[in-house]
Amino acid sequence: MINTRKIAFPRYAEYNCAMKYLAEQGLNVSYILQPALTRRTEELGAKYSPDFVCTPFKTCLGSMIEALEAGADTLIMSHGLCRLGYYGELQEQILRDLGYEFEFINLAEYSGSKKGWLKALKRISPKVNPAKLAVNFGETVKMVEHLDEVTAEYYEDCGFDETPGAHKRAYRKFLSALYTAGSRGDVETAYRQVKAEFQQIPLKKPRRPLRVGIVGEFYTAMDAFSNLEVEQKLADMGVEVHRWMNVTHQFFQRNAFKNLQVKVKDLCTYEMGPTSTANIWYARECAERGFDGLIHIKSANCTPEIDIMPVLQRISGEYKIPTLYLTYDSQTSDVGLMTRLEAFYDMIQRKRRTVS
Amino acid sequence: MEKTSELVIGLPHALLYHRYAKLWHGFFSGLGIRTVDSGPTSRKVLEDGASLAVDEACLSLKVFLGHVSELVGSCDYILVPRISNFGRHRNMCVRFEALYDLTRNVFRESGQKFLAYNIDVLEGQGEEAAFLELGCGLGYSKKGVKKAYASAKKGEQELWKAAVRKNEALYRTDGLKILVAAHSYVIKDSYIGKPVTDGLKKLGVTPIRADVVNREAAVKRSTELSPTCKWELNREIVGSIAAHADAVDGIILLSAFPCGPDAMVNDLLARKIKGIPLLNLVLDSQTGTAGIETRLESFVDIIRLKKGMLT
Repeated sequence: MINTRKIAFPRYAEYNCAMKYLAEQGLNVSYILQPALTRRTEELGAKYSPDFVCTPFKTCLGSMIEALEAGADTLIMSHGLCRLGYYGELQEQILRDLGYEFEFINLAEYSGSKKGWLKALKRISPKVNPAKLAVNFGETVKMVEHLDEVTAEYYEDCGFDETPGAHKRAYRKFLSALYTAGSRGDVETAYRQVKAEFQQIPLKKPRRPLRVGIVGEFYTAMDAFSNLEVEQKLADMGVEVHRWMNVTHQFFQRNAFKNLQVKVKDLCTYEMGPTSTANIWYARECAERGFDGLIHIKSANCTPEIDIMPVLQRISGEYKIPTLYLTYDSQTSDVGLMTRLEAFYDMIQRKRRTVS
Repeated sequence: MEKTSELVIGLPHALLYHRYAKLWHGFFSGLGIRTVDSGPTSRKVLEDGASLAVDEACLSLKVFLGHVSELVGSCDYILVPRISNFGRHRNMCVRFEALYDLTRNVFRESGQKFLAYNIDVLEGQGEEAAFLELGCGLGYSKKGVKKAYASAKKGEQELWKAAVRKNEALYRTDGLKILVAAHSYVIKDSYIGKPVTDGLKKLGVTPIRADVVNREAAVKRSTELSPTCKWELNREIVGSIAAHADAVDGIILLSAFPCGPDAMVNDLLARKIKGIPLLNLVLDSQTGTAGIETRLESFVDIIRLKKGMLT
């Protein structure tokens, strides 16, 4: 029997290609890819959300509505360690109150045990073949690892193209290939191709370019729409942009991640929140590696990121590394952000000249 | 009492103080340690706290930092617990996970020393083990610390049982009754929550605290209204609402701006609770209570109108 379920997940950075792959290949269900995030998504979400919930809640709610408009009949929402863990229940209630009809699979109901996850999978696709799914899951992990690696390389180099836009073209082509991949071969080909293309692009990069490290909240720091393409904007000014935070590092390299706490014991005795240890560690790592600046990105009302700010302020003071704190809500404007980035760029550039 | 020490420990009169005061006082006095308390919140405490906190932090954290600042320099240690969870789906707001390190970093230049105890049941450390670690870390014998904790815990539980009994009796009183659903550190704070309960009393209403309840039973019942709510303190309140909504004339969801868990849970409650007047009241660091009084008055009027008591 063919499973006719049409599932969707809120848009999240470029990771929906991996969810699509897992759904279609591993779970044998159709995946509905709703339109990319736009102002409309955000406005839709903000209209129906409680005022002082964090911004990703609103964006995800808007994206769920757009998925339903695009024909999805099943929405999947993730669990999470901060307020994210409660998104699903409230979003479902809001959508039901609006009158939408759909099935909702809230992973927060299943989290905590392997048995729970298996139950959730059985609900999505009753005839799931666990052995095949395990293989496809491995392929999906590989895809995400490739995506994260290529994305990191992209933001380090794309600001230094001799012919502007060369990196962007190759990166875009890579992304399209991932969104349409139907086999492991497709993914590997796309990966090898983009790596080869990146290598051949002539760069005019100074020997010691300005380097900026990005830390922050898991959704907003990684989702280009939500952070108003802050990484691209910086790169376009001629900055090497580094961000450690991504799905690969956070989830697939759990053990390395767990042991980060040891390195920041002097700054924080305990884990302060789901991504706090990683952010504090990476902020200091950037400072010690002589980066020119740090940017801390979060959505308005993000509790764990607000709480690590005193630690980041301390790192900034002790290592004399300029740090820009950016808070995004659904009203943050492109122009305002640009002004702040330009001022920040001027400052780190002047500091570089004065010091060296 | 083991020995009388010279040690003085400061207890910030905010956040979890309102939940654990009895336990803390009992434990430290059992060890012969003197404690100082920063006293009730005042305008100055709030202003000091606000100047120390990141703008976007919640009112309760600002108040807390104000209290810590009152104590800085007047004691050897200031107690700031770190509580992550009491088990699966029994989490604290992440702010309580960060609180100790956050405070330490805010006051890093003051030279003040801080004292934590760490509860993280999912990582294998419950309350007793946490207090044991705390006491032994201060140089007391394991046996003595165990005894101090046991007797403090007993005192806490007796006091709580009596408080719950007294609170339950309020549901059986005559006249208008309003269930006030708020974190203890909001409703018990003399500067934030007290004007609300005082205001209700002035209007001839009996305010009943939702958070004073048999906690275990309430946590279990919370799933009736919110199946995936994972914050312990909110679950106690939600379960209490599920148990008592029929016994009161109205419900006030009271929260301090911008409380993360409340922002979501209270929105859900407002969508789910039907057939009883409900007011969602968010308190900010405003001066004066006229605004609150007006809102309470109109809410009570609505209840009276509905009951035909107002003509």
